[in-house]
Amino acid sequence: MQASLSSTIRPNVALYVSVARLGFRRQFAYPQAALWGLITNLFFGVLRISVLVALFGSRPQVAGYTVQDAITYTGLTQALIMALSLFGWTDFMRTVHRGEVASDLLRPHDLLAFWAAQDAGRAVGQFVLRGLPMLALFALLWGATFPAGVEGWLLTTLSLLLAWGCGFAFRFVVNCAAFWSPDAVGFGRFAWAVLALGSGFLMPLAFFPPWFQTVLAFTPFPSMMNTTVEIWLGIRTGPEAWAGAAAQFGWALLLLGLAALVLSRGLKRLEVAGG
Amino acid sequence: MDRSLRVPPRHGSEEGVLSSAAHHLRLYFLLLRAQARSQAVYRLSFALDAVGSAFITLSEFAAFVLVLPRFGTLSGWTLGDVALLYGLAELAFVLMDLLFGGFDAPNLSQHVRSGSFNTFLLRPAPLRLQVFGSDFALRRVMRVFLAAGILAYGVAASGAVWTPEAALLLTGSVLGMVAFFGGLFVIGGTLTFWTVESVEAMNVLTYGGRTLISYPMDIYGQFLRKTFTYLIPAAFLSYFPVLHVLGRPLPDGLPLLAAYLSPLVGPLMLAAAFAFWRLGVRHYGGTGT
Repeated sequence: MQASLSSTIRPNVALYVSVARLGFRRQFAYPQAALWGLITNLFFGVLRISVLVALFGSRPQVAGYTVQDAITYTGLTQALIMALSLFGWTDFMRTVHRGEVASDLLRPHDLLAFWAAQDAGRAVGQFVLRGLPMLALFALLWGATFPAGVEGWLLTTLSLLLAWGCGFAFRFVVNCAAFWSPDAVGFGRFAWAVLALGSGFLMPLAFFPPWFQTVLAFTPFPSMMNTTVEIWLGIRTGPEAWAGAAAQFGWALLLLGLAALVLSRGLKRLEVAGG
Repeated sequence: MDRSLRVPPRHGSEEGVLSSAAHHLRLYFLLLRAQARSQAVYRLSFALDAVGSAFITLSEFAAFVLVLPRFGTLSGWTLGDVALLYGLAELAFVLMDLLFGGFDAPNLSQHVRSGSFNTFLLRPAPLRLQVFGSDFALRRVMRVFLAAGILAYGVAASGAVWTPEAALLLTGSVLGMVAFFGGLFVIGGTLTFWTVESVEAMNVLTYGGRTLISYPMDIYGQFLRKTFTYLIPAAFLSYFPVLHVLGRPLPDGLPLLAAYLSPLVGPLMLAAAFAFWRLGVRHYGGTGT
């Protein structure tokens, strides 16, 4: 009695760990799809590199980027597409539309933590399956810049985890639109396009005009990828890099709070039809 | 409604062929109208969806527009020149998507997997007509306007000299591209008769090809440029016509004639694709669902 009471109060860490592990393992179910995904990503990577190299022309450096940095930037962003779900993510939306969210609510877990654990596992799985081979291929074919020293690797890893945190919370909030709209996919499409532009997936944010960078600085989008890339490349080092990571941490907390708020509002509206 | 579903008149006389074509066209538009209606039920959601899809086009081009001033030109191509290429590719691809969406592998494999493709075969209407009318995404109409806007900017801002001949050349380029990429969609869709999984490899050619020809092809390496000129004739679709309109010579010493081949290359690809389609339909045996 006492044991079961304390286990319901204490967050069930073991549960979330196994949820994350399942999310990780699920990614390895279709190796053939992963292989084709890798080939497609590589092809688009080549196209993006071509545009960037042509833009550089004979300039040795633009906005702190060398051509080699721009190539590494392309490799990194192509490698992170799947792990950070840069093309969008509608898994949670689907469970709301289908009403499956109702049976999820019956289970003894926190819905947001459950999805965070599952997505963390999914992200790591995709990073191992698609991201790492992609990066290795890029480095092999075109060379790459790597984080400098122990502090560089440490900061890059930290920043990558925070980028996932910001991105997950943002994606979750967008998915919560399903509580209000019977077809939230359209809202999502808009959100993913904003994410692609604002996170620096389409072009390094440093290349944008100053006014546009200033506007973006007030949004969480650069924290969802661009900061990580700049820390990896060593464009941000020392205190500047720590400040970037701190901003990411702040946005992650804020967005997770917002996700929890929007979720609880949405669940209050939830009406499940029959079944 | 019952009138429109009347059995088409027999072929044979010229009059019969004509009225049969009119009948099929009306049937096609009936299919489109039914889908457009169902998509417009949730108005706000539809509006957001339309704006969202348009914003995908816009953000990609906007990213390029925003960074270009820092670099000047793209290896000698101004923003107007690139807008010409980008607008042509985007306009053709979106028009093609509206027309050929039903053949796109994810859509068709859905029909094959669920067994609803069998109902297509049972209905007393031509199979291809039904597939053509099976996935009309009204939201893409917004993207058509946006693509036309980018193209219009390209027409106005590029260094091209505008003559009726140039206008005809670019119109032919768009038509050729619609047929070419439509053919790729048909091939991708046909492949789903053999493998029920979606055919991801085709994405390299469809979406990859679209992206490839959105920028001047002289920025790519020799291997890529030659592959997409001589093996997959994508360069003939819009790159060569645009080079000609801009008064630039064609690469590899190709004759001027090569700039006029888009309306030929596209339909050839489409014809080959439909030959493959017939083979696939004959092979199709259903999934047993």
